[in-house]
Amino acid sequence: MTPLADALAAYLTRTAGAPVAVEALARISGGASRETYRYDAVIGGRRDGYILRRDPPGSLIDTDRRLEFLAISSFVGKGVAAPQVVALEEDGAELDRPFFIMRRVDGGAAASPFSADPYGEHREAIGEQFFSILGKIAAEPLAGLPFVEVAPAPEHSACWRRELDYWAGVIDADEQHPQPIVRAAIRRLRRDPPPTAARISVVHGDYRSGNFLHDGRGSIIAVLDWEMAHLGDPLEDLAWAMDPLWSPIPDGRVSGMIGVAEALAIWSRASGLAIDPKAMAWWSLFAAVKGQAIWTSSAKAWKDGGFIEPILAFSGWYTARRHDEILAERLSALEVA
Amino acid sequence: MTPSLPDLLIGQAAALTASQPVEAGGDYLAGRVGMLALLAVMMAQEAERGLAARVWENGAIGDLLAKAAPAYRLAPATDGGDLSWRALDQRNADLRRLLIKLHELVEARGDADLDREILALYRAMAHARRLDLPAS
Repeated sequence: MTPLADALAAYLTRTAGAPVAVEALARISGGASRETYRYDAVIGGRRDGYILRRDPPGSLIDTDRRLEFLAISSFVGKGVAAPQVVALEEDGAELDRPFFIMRRVDGGAAASPFSADPYGEHREAIGEQFFSILGKIAAEPLAGLPFVEVAPAPEHSACWRRELDYWAGVIDADEQHPQPIVRAAIRRLRRDPPPTAARISVVHGDYRSGNFLHDGRGSIIAVLDWEMAHLGDPLEDLAWAMDPLWSPIPDGRVSGMIGVAEALAIWSRASGLAIDPKAMAWWSLFAAVKGQAIWTSSAKAWKDGGFIEPILAFSGWYTARRHDEILAERLSALEVA
Repeated sequence: MTPSLPDLLIGQAAALTASQPVEAGGDYLAGRVGMLALLAVMMAQEAERGLAARVWENGAIGDLLAKAAPAYRLAPATDGGDLSWRALDQRNADLRRLLIKLHELVEARGDADLDREILALYRAMAHARRLDLPAS
C-alpha cells in the first residue's frame, strides 16, 4: 500500500462504515488541472472500479470541483455519456486536498487530439455521436439540474462579455511575455460583439477530441473533464470543439472525424438551434483566445512548479504557438470579410 | 513565445530526475516519457530555427515601428546587438510591447493600410515560430 492508497482506504472505510481495501491504485493521464487515479475498491468480497480526481498542489485552471461534480451529476442518465459520480470532499478529508470520486468506465480509451488519425475507420460514427452529444447538452432544459443551483446564469446578452472578461483577465494575470496577436484578437472581439445568445445552456467548457472515452468499435462511452462547466451560450462549446487546434491534419475533417458542414448540421439537429454565422465567427475567434489564456497559465504553472511537469511545457509552448497561428489567420480572414 | 529553449532543456532534466510516487508508474509513466520525447523532437526544431526566428521577428517589428514612427510618435526600441537567447527575448519583449501600442493607435485612428500590414506581420511571426508535430 502507498500513502495515498492508505489514506483513500481510511476515507472509504470511514464513509462506508465497513472495511474497504484499495487495490491497483495507479495514476492515469487526466488533464493537467487534476490528479487522476484509477483504483479498485474491495468491500465484503465485492470489487468495483473507481476514478479519483484530486486537486494538485498548484492547479492549472482555477476551477471549482463542486461545479464539476454537479455538472456531471446533472447529466447522468441523460444520454450524453456522463460518468456516475459518487462522492465529493471539498475540504480534502483524509486525502489532504479536495477530491471527488466517480465510477470507472472500463473498456475505453481517450485518443490523443494530436494524433494523425485518432479514430480510424470509426471516424464517421464517432463524429456523429460527438456532435450529437454536444447538441444534447445544449438542449438540456436547465430547470431542476443540480448544476443550476450553484452555477451563476448570465443574461442572454452578457454571455460573451463574461467569458471574454474572464479569459482576458487570465492572460493579464499570467502572461510572461507580451502577446500582440491575442491582444489584437481580444480588442477585435470587444469591438464587434456577437448576437445575443439564442439560449442559455450548460456549457461543458472543454468539450473536444481527447476528452472522451471510446470503445474502439465506434462508440463514445464516457464524456470527461467537466471542470470548466458553466452556464452560457452553447455556441461557445461548439466553437471550442471545432477549433483547428484539435485538427492537426488539415484534411477538412473536424478533429479527424467528419466535415465541418456535417458537424454543424448534426449539432443543430440535436440542439434544436440554428447557427448564426456571425455568432459562430465570434465564438470561433474567442475559442482561440480562451485557448491562448489556458496555455499562458500552463507556461506560468510550469515555470512556478520548477519546470517539472512536461504536459505543462507542451501546452505552454506547442499549443500556445499553434493558437497564435490560428488567431493570426482568423484575424486576417475577419479583416477581409 | 515562452518558454525559451534553455528553460525547456532545464525542464527535461528536472522532469527526468524528479522523484515520483509509486502509483505514478505504468501507463502514466509511459505517457510522461512519451511527452518528454515529443518535447525533445520539438526542441530540436527550436534549436534549428528558434534563433533565426527571433532575429527575423525583431528586425521585422523594428522595421515596421520605424516606418510608423513619424506618424505615430513612437520611441524606437534599443538594440544592443547581443545574440544570446536571453537578450533576443528581452529585446523581443520590448518590441512587442511597442507593437501592441502601435496597433491600438492604428485601430483607434482607423488606419486600414497599416492595420493590414500589422495583421500580415502577425501571420508571419506566428509562422516563423511554428512547431511541427512529428508525422506519426
